[in-house]
Amino acid sequence: MVDGNLVSNARMVEAGASARVYEGGYWGFASSSAKDGDKVREVTDLARRNAKAMSKFGTRKRLDLPNGTYRGEHEYQGRAPFTAAECAERLAAIHAWAKANCPALKSTRIQAADEHHRKHVTTSGGSDAVISIQRALVYIHFIAEDAEGSPVEVMETVTGKGHLGDLDWSLDALEPKLAALYEHLEAKRHAVPARGGLQHVVMAPHLAGILAHEAMGHPCEADLVLGGSVTGDLVGKRVASDLITMVDFAHTYEGEEVVVPVYCDDEGTPGTDAVLIKDGMLTGFMSSRETASRLGIAATGSARAYAPSDEPLVRMRNTAILPGKSKLDDMVAGIEDGYLLLRTGNGQADSTTEFMFAISLGYEVKNGRIGRAIKDTTMSGSAIKVLSSADAVSDDMQWNSGGYCGKKQPMVVSMGGPAIRAQVHMGGE
Amino acid sequence: MGAVSLRDTVEGALAEMRASGFDEAQATIVARRQDEVNIALNEPSLLRSTDSQRLLLLGILDGRRASTELTDLHADSVREGVQALLAAARSAPQDAANKVSSGQKARIVQGPQESDVALLTEKARELLEFGKSHAPKVILGEALAAHTLVRSHTLTSGGSDLESQAGHHTIDLFGTAREGQKTSSFAAAGGDTHDIGAHHATEFFGIAELLTHLERSIQTHPIGGQFVGDVVLAPAAVADLVEWLLGQLCDEALIAGSSVYRDRVGEAVGSPLLTLRSRFDAPGVTALTMDAFVAGPVEVLGQGVLKTLTPSLYGSLKTGLPHVPTAAGGWELLAGDTPRETLVSDTRKGALVGRLSMGRPASSGDFSGVIKNSFAIDGGKVGDALSETMITGNVARMLKDVLAVSRERIDTGALVLPWVRVGGLQFS
Repeated sequence: MVDGNLVSNARMVEAGASARVYEGGYWGFASSSAKDGDKVREVTDLARRNAKAMSKFGTRKRLDLPNGTYRGEHEYQGRAPFTAAECAERLAAIHAWAKANCPALKSTRIQAADEHHRKHVTTSGGSDAVISIQRALVYIHFIAEDAEGSPVEVMETVTGKGHLGDLDWSLDALEPKLAALYEHLEAKRHAVPARGGLQHVVMAPHLAGILAHEAMGHPCEADLVLGGSVTGDLVGKRVASDLITMVDFAHTYEGEEVVVPVYCDDEGTPGTDAVLIKDGMLTGFMSSRETASRLGIAATGSARAYAPSDEPLVRMRNTAILPGKSKLDDMVAGIEDGYLLLRTGNGQADSTTEFMFAISLGYEVKNGRIGRAIKDTTMSGSAIKVLSSADAVSDDMQWNSGGYCGKKQPMVVSMGGPAIRAQVHMGGE
Repeated sequence: MGAVSLRDTVEGALAEMRASGFDEAQATIVARRQDEVNIALNEPSLLRSTDSQRLLLLGILDGRRASTELTDLHADSVREGVQALLAAARSAPQDAANKVSSGQKARIVQGPQESDVALLTEKARELLEFGKSHAPKVILGEALAAHTLVRSHTLTSGGSDLESQAGHHTIDLFGTAREGQKTSSFAAAGGDTHDIGAHHATEFFGIAELLTHLERSIQTHPIGGQFVGDVVLAPAAVADLVEWLLGQLCDEALIAGSSVYRDRVGEAVGSPLLTLRSRFDAPGVTALTMDAFVAGPVEVLGQGVLKTLTPSLYGSLKTGLPHVPTAAGGWELLAGDTPRETLVSDTRKGALVGRLSMGRPASSGDFSGVIKNSFAIDGGKVGDALSETMITGNVARMLKDVLAVSRERIDTGALVLPWVRVGGLQFS
């Protein structure tokens, strides 16, 4: 809904069958949006023919692929999904509240979405599993103008496991968040540019999750390790301060099922937690069967495909930096001259661990006190340098599952973390 | 399913929507077939063949709109989908701007219609052999050569009848260079073409240059200090500027009122060196819009002057701005008259920027980004590869501050772009 206009009222259903075959050291893959029995057989035959066709490149040694198996069914059980009418009413109510309570507001952009993935995976190795992922997303953008008439924007997200019916996004529940969002918008209308260069910052939990995902998550994907990522030479070595432990969780965190539960991946491998950094030391990678074989490590069940037409690639699942013992307020109070960074846009990773992500909301901190808002900027650095400079990690933990990870295909992932205080490179004047 | 069946399916769906009581309706079927030869980690790895069909339905009832997308095309499923669509439309707010197109007619056939796996195999082999002989330190993490055929047919209750059958070839690659324990940044290149057989695989999309530059990017240094300097943006970085500009001209920014160009048509918003035009017949693009219009030629910037905004029919009715149909891609920035090497030699201090790693620039155009696959320029000469270097600026300002545009361009299908020199960027 853009400024009260319902510009999209859409439902998409994509279904299909795919088959992947490993033969003669090559992979063959085929898919179809039809999924009846004959079509599945056709697709499987074509996948086999495709693997054979690759032998035109010459003979290739067949890898000895690890063969963990999984059998089980994991269907999401929650409340009934909202109807389109209920969603439209909620969006309209949020817009109306904003117009009534936010005098400087120029426009709103609000999106609500349910996303459901259900797969039946069967492998020649004996795996047979039904797995599902169900998440709900609400994005709320408030837009105003600064003194020069330039647009200024802030965003709040509410995401979680389940349908929109499972998420608490009633106006009563959202009102405090909307009021806080408007306060941020007012502050950002008078924002100052950040100072460029190395800065001492507190990254709110929302940012720690994306730091985990972008900065060290991608360089710890086994295909990127094999592709030259610097992490390949760093197992057993220090890559972060000893306050940092980072894990890609398969399906469960502290006894609770996570937002993106991967009990078994799209190769039929059981999902196991990948401990990437333990007390600052690099300990492992996320892997598929082939990359595990090439690296001589265990397969972690991280081979995931997005659509029926996609082949499985090594992807993150629920990547998080684990909480520490500090209090967020104390961490901010410990900043003499730096920034509190609250919200981020998208981010990008690199094989060198040099990452960047957009900062869409932040404040100056002087002598431990929060000051003026800063304009949109970018934060970057070598993940190893940034994580090694971490001098405090908060004792809370927030998960977020908005947006997609992009790597040839999109992918549903979640990320989590506490607040982290560290030295980062900021873009600015 | 043959071409006749596509028409049958879409006619059946439109009839179902009319019988269900929709005042206006649009039905589109898209059938997509692709073969793709993949390279992983410098080795041929996978042949992937995909075949899919999607039915996209949009219905308007009493000014209330809803849309749906289905892949199960059995009659029962379509009937069920139409009933669900009807329920969704009934629950939507009324909006007088909800309309479907009328009287649009087109039949487009373009690009290679048949897949040739042997040709794709040959192109993948060329990538591998070039890597071995010319860039042995490069690891092609992923690369592919593909053929895609997309057939679509759209009918509306207003009598529009749009049919297309568009094929194209694709080459994409993604890799790093590595020596000992040092590694370069990721780099990527690729695009779509109508004739993959016309050249060696590495002669497309700047691939050869990218691979050889990557080997020179293993040893990197920060640019050092903070200063205001110039950038020479390679086409992949220029694309970020063009995409931001185009985003400011379309529905979302216009309806939300966040577009900085909403009232600027006819004004100079860019350097006189910039002319941006459509090429909606480009490989991978068809000259049709999502809301069922034929997209004719459009000039967005003419020597820096904003010629038009690009609202859809809905955006136009919502804002009162003239409707300008545009396809999903297909743009070219006209070549300049400056040799590429002169862009560099005229730069006193700055960087040759291969890629911008940044978030989406703010609506105001403000951005800061890490420059990747980039080299320092000092005294008009290209120096060390860079790491940990950021630039900060404003895209709207950059469009005005263009100092020179190269004669040379790279054609990736959806975009044809030159190198561009821009002044006044903050380095840190």
